[in-house]
Amino acid sequence: MYLARHYVFTLTVLRRTKNRHSRDPMLSLNLEDPPFVTVLIPARDEEKVIGRLLQRMTELTYPKDKMQVIVINDASSDDTSAIAEEYSHRYKFIEVLNRDKTIGGKGKSAAMNSGFERSRGEIIICFDADYYPQKNILENLVREFTDRKVGAVQGRVVVLNEPENIVTRLVALERIGGYRVDQEARDNLGLITQFGGTVGGFRRDVLETLGGWDESILAEDTDLTFRVYLAGYKVRYVGDAECYEEAVNNWKAYWTQRYRWALGHMDCCYRHSWKVICSKNLRAREKLDGLLLLNVYFMPLIVLLAFVVGALLLFYQSPWTSSWVISLLWFSVPVSFYNFVGNFAPFFEVGIGVYLDGRTRAQWLVPLLVFTFLFNVPICLKAFVNLLASKILRKNHNVWVKTRHNGNGNCYIGN
Amino acid sequence: MSRLKIALKQALSILFLETIALFLIVSFRIINLESALVLFVFDFLFVSLAFQLAGTFTKKLGLLALSNIVGFFCNLVFHSFHIVGVEYFGDLFNGFFAISYPLLNMVWMVSFWSLSLAILPKPKNMKVKMKS
Repeated sequence: MYLARHYVFTLTVLRRTKNRHSRDPMLSLNLEDPPFVTVLIPARDEEKVIGRLLQRMTELTYPKDKMQVIVINDASSDDTSAIAEEYSHRYKFIEVLNRDKTIGGKGKSAAMNSGFERSRGEIIICFDADYYPQKNILENLVREFTDRKVGAVQGRVVVLNEPENIVTRLVALERIGGYRVDQEARDNLGLITQFGGTVGGFRRDVLETLGGWDESILAEDTDLTFRVYLAGYKVRYVGDAECYEEAVNNWKAYWTQRYRWALGHMDCCYRHSWKVICSKNLRAREKLDGLLLLNVYFMPLIVLLAFVVGALLLFYQSPWTSSWVISLLWFSVPVSFYNFVGNFAPFFEVGIGVYLDGRTRAQWLVPLLVFTFLFNVPICLKAFVNLLASKILRKNHNVWVKTRHNGNGNCYIGN
Repeated sequence: MSRLKIALKQALSILFLETIALFLIVSFRIINLESALVLFVFDFLFVSLAFQLAGTFTKKLGLLALSNIVGFFCNLVFHSFHIVGVEYFGDLFNGFFAISYPLLNMVWMVSFWSLSLAILPKPKNMKVKMKS
């Protein structure tokens, strides 16, 4: 099913690229009176990257009298606050919200909620501190809200520090598959477009209706995506709204980040699956895609299980196993097609995404994505076991482990 | 384009098509059904996806024919490996081979897919530099 789904996604994007047409002309932003926008930037120990983003905020083309930037300093122990304060003194539209150690440091959702309380914008846009957006990104994102059915938007994430090492290069490939093909196809097909937690935003009234960010969940982005859809709104993907991120640059950081994503995503699957099935606001295809999206982090486990069962059959072989069981194992062929190269996106999807981006040399690294998949098997297994334990013991083990950013991506800006 | 060039291209295309068909049949007759299926799956993906990209039809057909040849010989090696393994380790090797066969095939399939897309000309609306 996943294989077929991704094949359809790839085909859709190819067809759309061939018959390329611009966004709905009705969706034109009234530049005379654009909506007031609040940009929320949660930051915890981000002294190496926060200055870069705030400088960029001053360079955005969106009218500054229609903008409010709130830096949520979430109990930082470095100079994040000082850097943000310096910008806030120089620019009126930049504000700093300091959360001390008694209330801060409890995760991104809590920080976002406190920022949301102070916000005044009709549209709330979020950026992580290590991101570096295009100058016209707000216009591109805000334009989509002209359609009243749109509750949230998502822009495209591109890896900034891709040339740094093999980990960043592979993460970049994953991002290309995810955004250039997956998200774009979902948006075109009217399926569940995912809000990625950053480089995106919400209509204020929608966010108020939903009650803001859920502080008890690690994948607050997936959680919000489904809450938006269940409330009868949709999420639009804007591929033209590009933002550059500093990707994790070592396997340890990759493990930590992906473990958080896997655990949070599986938790979302537990919370939302039944609601998606019963929802009256979702069409059948949205329900199907929603369920597949919610279960995606279980795929490495299913593949692992298939191979464990295969190995067991290997040792407990009886005369009858050699015929139909061997044939049965042939199911592992398409499963491998899907999983082994591409990590949540099959190799042909990543390949086409890379091609459409005009990245010839990056094509050579596609076979190496097998390592990221193998790395994700134990990650998802650990997440599944921990989630199971927390549900049985009724204890919430959701501890937000922050991804550290070293500012290495700075050297690629302006090149 | 001169008539000779067109005729040459047509002849090449027919040759490539025959090569593809030949290796599909040969892999079924000499190796086994599974190897022919693997080639067929790759051909299906290539024709339905890569054929929509930039580049001449002949070039794409040539790449597909080449991938069928490579795929056939890879499968022949895997098959020989299978026969030798069963000879040495007995029927147990059948199970081991059944599990590892898809992975072995992935090696040439993914590599050839990447290679083919890297060889094809870049799309016109490509994005190579960071947008300001």
